[in-house]
Amino acid sequence: MLSVAARAGPFAPFVSAAAHAVPGPLRPLAPAATHRDRKVPLEPKRLLLCRESLSGRAARGGLVASTSLNAQASVRCVHNDVTVPDFSAYRREDVQDATASSQSSSDSRKGFSYLMTAATGVATAYVAKNVVTQFISSLSASADVLALSKIEIKLSDIPEGKNMAFKWRGKPLFVRHRTQAEISQEAAVDVSQLRDPQHDLDRVKKPEWVILVGVCTHLGCVPIANAGDFGGYYCPCHGSHYDASGRIRKGPAPLNLEVPVYQFVGDDTVVVG
Amino acid sequence: KRFYSLKVAPKVSPSATAEKVKLSPASQNLEITKLPNGLVIASLENFSPASRIGVFIKTGSRYETTSNLGTTHLLRLASNLTTKGASSFRITRGIEAVGGSLSVHATREKMAYSVVCLRDYVDTVMEYLLNVTTAPEFRPWEVADLQPQLKVDKAIAFQNPQVGVLENLHAAAYKNALANPLYCPDYRVGKITSEQLHHFVQNNFTSSRMALVGIGIKHSTLKQVAEQFLNIRSGAGAPGAKAVYRGGEIRKQSSDSLVHAAVVAEGAVIGSKEADAFSVLQYVLGAGPLVKRGSKVTCKLTQGVAKATSKPFDVSAFNVNYSDSGLFGIYTISQAPDAGEVIKAALNQVKAVAQGGVTDADVTVAKNQLKANYLMSVETSKGLLNEIGSEALVSGTHTSPSAAAQKIDSVTTADVVNAAKKFISGKKSMAATGDLGNTPFLDEL
Repeated sequence: MLSVAARAGPFAPFVSAAAHAVPGPLRPLAPAATHRDRKVPLEPKRLLLCRESLSGRAARGGLVASTSLNAQASVRCVHNDVTVPDFSAYRREDVQDATASSQSSSDSRKGFSYLMTAATGVATAYVAKNVVTQFISSLSASADVLALSKIEIKLSDIPEGKNMAFKWRGKPLFVRHRTQAEISQEAAVDVSQLRDPQHDLDRVKKPEWVILVGVCTHLGCVPIANAGDFGGYYCPCHGSHYDASGRIRKGPAPLNLEVPVYQFVGDDTVVVG
Repeated sequence: KRFYSLKVAPKVSPSATAEKVKLSPASQNLEITKLPNGLVIASLENFSPASRIGVFIKTGSRYETTSNLGTTHLLRLASNLTTKGASSFRITRGIEAVGGSLSVHATREKMAYSVVCLRDYVDTVMEYLLNVTTAPEFRPWEVADLQPQLKVDKAIAFQNPQVGVLENLHAAAYKNALANPLYCPDYRVGKITSEQLHHFVQNNFTSSRMALVGIGIKHSTLKQVAEQFLNIRSGAGAPGAKAVYRGGEIRKQSSDSLVHAAVVAEGAVIGSKEADAFSVLQYVLGAGPLVKRGSKVTCKLTQGVAKATSKPFDVSAFNVNYSDSGLFGIYTISQAPDAGEVIKAALNQVKAVAQGGVTDADVTVAKNQLKANYLMSVETSKGLLNEIGSEALVSGTHTSPSAAAQKIDSVTTADVVNAAKKFISGKKSMAATGDLGNTPFLDEL
């Protein structure tokens, strides 16, 4: 179909009325947008007076009118002289060969990358956790405050039969060195008869040492040692009688005296708290 | 999906002489199908990164009547108005978002709506293209807002005097159909209604007058799209009037110091043997510069006119073919005082060819130039799309470039001389613009 596309054909791009045109010898620049009443400035006529500027301006074929939604704003050229730089210094050995497929090594490459990423992630998470906990734990109680929460008691200072009171965490702490008679007497008590049933051996680690918080479980007064009807403690406020194990026997108190957390360190020392 | 890039292009050995060089090993040939309803589908899958799709319609300003002149101009501008499936904003934004473009190219006989985009986004952009060509809504307020654009578009186009001359030439040469202007007449700006646009589209955008062409897209995809969406309007649509050549002249006096003049006679119809002869004759006489800043040694017209005047001028042979007629002649640009000499000298050159003053060597040179121009025009995807689409509309087939080159070669010197004789003996038409004091009338030539 020769005459259709020969330069004379209807689509010869000789003259085209484009709404936005590439500036060329025969294509005037067009304004971007039009408003109904605004005057549109057209490109002023250029006089064409020399042979070169007139060359090619005579019409050769039919008119083609064209409009475009978004025409080119510049002339695009084919950049076929651009060379791709050599990246071989950055490539892994598996993919140095440009003609070989990279699929065969892709698993190992991916595996290595993912492994490194995962390991770094784990290490980072560990470090991050440590840093964060260090900062946050600095907001909690300081060492001097924590130190006050424990008390160390030298047991050799307490003779048998004696009850010593210490100040611990703002409360009285009773440490009683019991005689053998007291121990066997407490062990023989019928647990089912007690208001708060607890066997003596459940309340002590070493039977000769009983460590109690000296606060009456009724309304909080401090019981008097070696007083009362049961050879233990007697609370003067409302008349609660405790035995040598600190268990309530008579009176309004509901529970036995509290046994704190303690530990025997060595033969001679106990750390309470 | 395969992509074609310059870097991975296979090295083609120079010894592969007559074989067709393929862009890539899997590149395919052009496939063309004609559906039963008359729609032609053509596609070339060249694995290009950018796809170009066009809907070609056999309609244009020749199918207007005096009551609806300018409808095709407004139709050209209305390509991004709201359609049934997408609003104007969506079409514009959607096409811009994928970096595509939508354009309409129109001649007196055909309109082409084409979209270009990267191949990944073909589906999106195809949707808009189909909406625009098959289901426009032409909302009255949008059409009314667009009418001032007609004036601007026309003013920009008419900055080139060639446009005015060619419009006048067609108005002078024909009584109807092809005499209709491509650009809306001034009195019709503001009066084109949405109903007229609808009516025009209903009667002209029918399946049997359309061709769907794609480059860089699979044939199966295009076929599926065409069968599903482009089947809406069947029938032949309104037939256009047969163009009747009358041969007149229109002169536009202005203060321009350069006179643009075209003198033509009736030429050949598209696809005929005569059309090939006229094309070769055009190149024998000279059809534009071939060497930048060259002196057009092979161009008979230029050499002849250069003897008549020393002032700057330009002249070329003018040739256009339509489906039932054509125009062939000369187009001159000259200084106002010399216009008469220039036109007469150019016509004398054509007379010389008609009297047999052309050698086989001249004809061979012209054929080579014509072949080169043709083949270079189909090298770009834009040119190729135009070529495939135009041919699909006219005949529903595709001539390969080598077959086209052979057709050119089959033109003989006698054919060329006969074509020149037809011009000399035919009834002439003329259009001229500029300071026409020294420009002769048709009866003085």
